[in-house]
Amino acid sequence: MPIITTHNLSKVYNPDTVPVHALRDVNLEFEEGEFTTVRGPSGSGKTTLLNMIGGLDIPTEGHVEIAGTRITGMKESKLIEFRLNNIGFVFQAYNLIPVFTAYENVTFIMLLQKRSKQEMKERAHELLSAMGLKDKLDSRPKELSGGEQQRVAVARALASRPKFILADEPTANLDTDSAMNLLDMMEKMNREENVTFIFSTHDQRVIDRARRVITMVDGAIDKDERKSPPS
Amino acid sequence: MYLKLAWRNLWRNKRRTLITVSSIMFAVVAALFVESLGEGTRQQLLDNMTGFQTGYMQIQDYRYEDEPSLDNAFLFDDSLEQKIQTDHQDVDFLIPRIETFMLAAGEEITRGAMVMGIDIEKEHQFNEIRDRLKIGEFGESGEQKAVLGEGLANRLNLAVGDTLALLGQGRFGMMSSGLFEVSGLIDFPIRELDNQIIYLSLEDAQWLLSAEERVTNLVVVPENPRNLNPLSQSLSETVKNDELRVLTWEEMMPELIEAIEFDELSGRVMLWILYVVIGFGIFGTILTMTLERKREFGILLSVGMYRTKLALVVFIETLFISILGVLSGFGLGSLILLYFHFTPIQFTGDMADLMHDFGFEATMEITFSPEIYMLQGSAILVITLLICLYPSLKIAGMDILESKK
Repeated sequence: MPIITTHNLSKVYNPDTVPVHALRDVNLEFEEGEFTTVRGPSGSGKTTLLNMIGGLDIPTEGHVEIAGTRITGMKESKLIEFRLNNIGFVFQAYNLIPVFTAYENVTFIMLLQKRSKQEMKERAHELLSAMGLKDKLDSRPKELSGGEQQRVAVARALASRPKFILADEPTANLDTDSAMNLLDMMEKMNREENVTFIFSTHDQRVIDRARRVITMVDGAIDKDERKSPPS
Repeated sequence: MYLKLAWRNLWRNKRRTLITVSSIMFAVVAALFVESLGEGTRQQLLDNMTGFQTGYMQIQDYRYEDEPSLDNAFLFDDSLEQKIQTDHQDVDFLIPRIETFMLAAGEEITRGAMVMGIDIEKEHQFNEIRDRLKIGEFGESGEQKAVLGEGLANRLNLAVGDTLALLGQGRFGMMSSGLFEVSGLIDFPIRELDNQIIYLSLEDAQWLLSAEERVTNLVVVPENPRNLNPLSQSLSETVKNDELRVLTWEEMMPELIEAIEFDELSGRVMLWILYVVIGFGIFGTILTMTLERKREFGILLSVGMYRTKLALVVFIETLFISILGVLSGFGLGSLILLYFHFTPIQFTGDMADLMHDFGFEATMEITFSPEIYMLQGSAILVITLLICLYPSLKIAGMDILESKK
């Protein structure tokens, strides 16, 4: 069973004035363990698609199902809880709570899930170590480089044990080394822990690493290509 | 962790937090000062008026208020005193007074004066009148000595050691006249009385006015001056068969109540203006903070934080700021109030004259009252918390996508 399904997803902004069709009849399925990139020029609908899948935006038509649960039309309080327990987010920048350390940023999401202290501690250590940030546990975001901050954001997204992670242009503000390093980490989590990643990007470095590349043009799916797994 | 988040958020922009805390602190100081000064001035006025004029409560002949004449003086002997003291444990002691208006003359000048016969020991126990003597002393019974208000002495051109002549009407139309040695001058806190008061010993005054053992007023000093009405009612029951009645200071000086109420109202208006100014100041800071952190709020809502919890964190932040501001305001305010409590503000020159003309002393005293601290601290706290509704409402209606842009 696909982990995510979008059914005839459409989004029109300003329908009464100057209608902007951000999404047009998008039908997609994502399987568990995918490492997928949604690519396309600015305004092609990549971010809107991710927002719909993440339950941050409401479609004008169609709906989204996650692991069999229809999230479109869900009550906000239910949706928040659903997001918290099922979806991990990594944004382009300013992801982290600036007054918390890397460790606290990761544990905070688990606190929202009311996990036990011991579990929070173990999971945060495990994830930050996996992200190569073992010696940065007590550093605040401003003491970390852009790449390190994004790795903390990935660790935070993973901390809640989500079904998949949505990453909206995660490498946009990173230099090549940091971007490659971040991608290495995410690829490792995907490979070793079967974590599903869906990126929106126009960064070729990300596109090259993805095993599935969805190309969007003017809010519609133009291409949906799958690469064969590396041998 | 929410507390930790709120506390650390306070210090992410130290300057802004310190400015907000300072503005709340100064607001509390200003509110404390205005209210303590107002309360102090009103209390001082009340103390002077009750201490030197009416007392908290008086027993009078039932006709005396309408016709304040010596003919309506009443017999005050041991039996009446004993009856009151026995029946009313909440009466501390009684102060007999006899008062009337007479002509007072020095060597060349004559003026109308208010002559008051007092029991100096009891009077001093009540209002520390001896401490107000600028020069000289009160005489004993039978010594035929008089203490004058300094204003009256100046008008009559009299000094200590001079002779004062008193002429007037005694009880039941008897002619009253006598010569008294000026034994002291008193600095009377109420200007109007300072210009007309003459103190004699009670017995000397009763002899002068042909009113032996009679008094016009019996000042009742209660154990608890704040609880006058029950005592007034029970005392009325005790003395009503003697054709006497009991009056509280509120009944005797309704104009003083009006003056106090007006003063309180002016103080309240000033405080409200202060609150509005402070409120806008704090609102400005909270507004900036909310707009600055819009994106951060959006991210937190996206990753699964409930709006209520986020609003709670912001509320706790504002609460921390408010508490810090109010407590530091209490600290600084107490220092300032303490200073002015021990060094009251003294007015001189025209300002002093103006205050005397309005019946005030030219000194402004500060009252220390936990109630003022509670009231002002709570008022500022409530204002701050009301202002905090803004970010909470903003968070409640926040569009996650808009906020992340």
